[in-house]
Amino acid sequence: MSATVSTPGSTPGPASGQSRKRILDRVRSATHGSGHGFAEPADAYAALPRTYVRRGTLTAEARLALMIERLREYDAEVIECTPANLVASIAAQLTASGKHTFAAPEGLNSDWLVPGFDWKADHRLTTAEIEQAEGVVTACFCGVADSGTIVLHHSPAEGRRVLTLLPDWYLCILRASQVVETLPEYFDRCTQPPVLVTWISGPSATADIEMTRIKGVHGPRFLHVILVRDEI
Amino acid sequence: MSHLATAQPAMPHPDLDPLSAPPFPKAALPILRNPQLRHNVAHAIDVIQAKRAKLVTEKADWQELRSAASAIRAQALENLGAYLEEFETRCTAAGGTVHWAADAAEARQTILDLLRQENASEVIKIKTMTSAEIQLNPFLEAAGVSVFETDLAEIILQLGDDEPSHIVVPALHVNRSQVREIFARRMGLKDLSDDPHALTAAARTYLRQKFLNIPTAIGGANFLVAETGSVAVVESEGNGRMCLTLPRTMITLAGIEKVLPRFQDLEVMLQVLARSATGERMNPYTSLWTGVTPGDGPQRFHVVLLDNGRSSILSRTKERQTLKCIRCAACMNACPVYRQTGGHAYGSVYPGPIGAILTPQLMQMHHAQSLPFASSLCGACYEVCPVKINIPEVLLELRAQVVNQERHQFARLLDPMYLGMKIANLLFQKAWRFHLAQRLGRIGARLFTQRDGWIHSLPSIGAKWTQTRDLRALSSQTFHEWWAARKGEAK
Amino acid sequence: MRASLFITCYNDTLFPETGRAVVSLLERLGVSLDFHPKQTCCGQMHANTGFRGEAFSQAKRLVRLYQEAETVVIPSSSCVAMIRDQYPGLFEELGNESLRREFAALLPRVYELSEFLIDRLGVEDVGATFPHRVTYHASCHGVRALHLGDRPYRLLRKVRSLTQMPLPNVDRCCGFGGTFSVKNAEVSSAMLAVKLEDIVATGAEYCTALDNSCLMHLGGAMHRQYVGMKTIHLAEILASTEASPAEATV
Repeated sequence: MSATVSTPGSTPGPASGQSRKRILDRVRSATHGSGHGFAEPADAYAALPRTYVRRGTLTAEARLALMIERLREYDAEVIECTPANLVASIAAQLTASGKHTFAAPEGLNSDWLVPGFDWKADHRLTTAEIEQAEGVVTACFCGVADSGTIVLHHSPAEGRRVLTLLPDWYLCILRASQVVETLPEYFDRCTQPPVLVTWISGPSATADIEMTRIKGVHGPRFLHVILVRDEI
Repeated sequence: MSHLATAQPAMPHPDLDPLSAPPFPKAALPILRNPQLRHNVAHAIDVIQAKRAKLVTEKADWQELRSAASAIRAQALENLGAYLEEFETRCTAAGGTVHWAADAAEARQTILDLLRQENASEVIKIKTMTSAEIQLNPFLEAAGVSVFETDLAEIILQLGDDEPSHIVVPALHVNRSQVREIFARRMGLKDLSDDPHALTAAARTYLRQKFLNIPTAIGGANFLVAETGSVAVVESEGNGRMCLTLPRTMITLAGIEKVLPRFQDLEVMLQVLARSATGERMNPYTSLWTGVTPGDGPQRFHVVLLDNGRSSILSRTKERQTLKCIRCAACMNACPVYRQTGGHAYGSVYPGPIGAILTPQLMQMHHAQSLPFASSLCGACYEVCPVKINIPEVLLELRAQVVNQERHQFARLLDPMYLGMKIANLLFQKAWRFHLAQRLGRIGARLFTQRDGWIHSLPSIGAKWTQTRDLRALSSQTFHEWWAARKGEAK
Repeated sequence: MRASLFITCYNDTLFPETGRAVVSLLERLGVSLDFHPKQTCCGQMHANTGFRGEAFSQAKRLVRLYQEAETVVIPSSSCVAMIRDQYPGLFEELGNESLRREFAALLPRVYELSEFLIDRLGVEDVGATFPHRVTYHASCHGVRALHLGDRPYRLLRKVRSLTQMPLPNVDRCCGFGGTFSVKNAEVSSAMLAVKLEDIVATGAEYCTALDNSCLMHLGGAMHRQYVGMKTIHLAEILASTEASPAEATV
């Protein structure tokens, strides 16, 4: 337990220590001898069947078309642009939104903070300040076409987790080279397991009342994606 | 607007404590007599089922994904001790604190102690069935902590003084006019309409200030990742993200079986979970975090690892597969029994086929013994299970255990079911006994056979059959008698 | 071709006409049928109710009885499923090595009736005539345990003058479930009501299946409710000819 951080209450009580031993002892005796002949769990793990699709088969164009189709099925609005007219496209989206105050991660490309709007760059914005933003613009780590999913690793250009949560309107900039066809291909792109991830598939939604899908319970109600056609 | 038209006869408050809940056949009766509730349940699961079926058909590698998901979960369980320790080490190194709770009481107390250290008089919650399993909310309320559920369905139940009837869509037995009534009454919104958009907006407004002001949150875990010490939560509404980013302190309660060996295993789990659970290619939000991240989200993070009977399930080879469950609820959506009874009849927070095997095992087979029999063994649950839990096989195993418990009890001596089974077995051991019984039965049945050649009413256990079905009279000649006579003629 | 008939305990007692139909059908197709007079039950009822020891002794009895049989034909999908899905576990747990060997040798020779016709005899057109509207109830064991697939439909398609009426929610359980129907009689009845609604809506005159246990359940409700429809085992339809129509129709 010596590695715990020094915040109040960060050390488990003595009862927990006794239970830890009890539980682990019970678990070990319960699973004793169930290694299927593998000496090490790592060997058994390596032998697991992974015959599912791990690599997509679509052409680059079809992959992007699928990404767009799946995003639109979630009611996300998607537009495409070239790298050269990205800034103009951002400006057009912001203008069309009718909103004025936008939050941005501190590491967002400063060219994207198009003039004419009230930008709140996230240099330790308070929750109340983020809450006051009408929208937010960020980059992302990856797009998964198969499920229309946008993946954030919360790098400086993607922002803290709360930034893409409180504003009601979210514009995500996705580059074509970031789009993979299948979920396993996203995992292949993670050279190291990330510390923070948010997988976003469409706007916040619920179907808790009579299975009627309602957009926007707590997260953003409006998801916009600009797909930048960079080199694939 | 009057909602008298939709009012139902008062239902008894559902008892989801397996220690006190009535047996399944009895608990099912008031529900079977409630057409509104049955309609609500059937409608909801028909919608999910149809969506799921469409998405599974579209996924060409569905069976391969199921095989991988099943194998990953099984491997995690077979090496659970090592993976739990690895999770603990990684999570701790990342700034989290790991607590271990052997049973429900210890988990409740651990969480309360943590809340006291935080001076928390209020707490916001992400939907977690594990907290319902340990009956956390009533415990915290009794200790003076106000608990605010933040999942829309959980709000409906909490404000309506109701209990969950499904593990993914806990309020699926409640329809929009009932939700309107609850929200209007409890939120003081007299003019609220029953449009789901309006009802959802009301919940959003009701909770917004709670999210922004309450600094302590409790949630569950869909997955714990041993390799990294990370926790993953799968959700739709964003209430989970709120609880995972705004508060100062996050407490995660997780069953010890929730561990996955590696981060990459999520490439399988996230593909099967949403498709099985809500019939979506992917749920709107999945969050994964690792301990504490400076400047982002709660700066104090606790995980309470709960055993509460799980290690004893783990020790039984046939039943161990129960713990592979990823709580997608596909089994209850596919179950023809659940479709009629909804979840409350199961007397547990875990209803449906998975509940029928999980609940009695969590109770160490001392309670909820009627649940393994609450199935027609149709096999639909196994067919849809994304981690291939052979639920019928476990049901049969548990039935055998219940019978072994009961068969020597004095009270079973004259129980018609036990008596009948014993006699039937004696008859089936020798053909002559069986044939004699057929002849005697034919004579006996005449007493009950009406002029139309059918039996309309039988005594004792037979009355359970004839309460809704007739039975054709026994033929004057069995098949083997016919066969013998035919052979005789041929000679 | 020689085959030994396991008629099953409840067909023997309650549905002898199904057995007679199997005999007339298979003999018409040139199969030399044999019937072991000492047969009783496969043990399904006991196994499914939790009486595992009793189920085991019945299972053992069956395996010994059919040791010599070239092929075993069973006109009941749930009994075949019992043998395929539950015997291995019972013998693993309670049996010995020689019993397990005997069973392993027997298992590939056990056929459900539609499997026997299509997979073993290779016939779809059995020369039947049945001038009626028929809906097929795909029993749970037929669909999910035996994976009978389209076999029953292929057989029905070749029956002269028969009109197939498609059944919605065809893979949904009728609510019988053996002792479930009395232990949970009310829930079972609720499931039955829903199933019957789908069946009646087809407008068929007959509901058929490869398992008389479902049909006993459905037929009992049809009779109670005067729905004006009858149940009939698929074997009886396939045995039916213009010269000698199925007993249920006369």
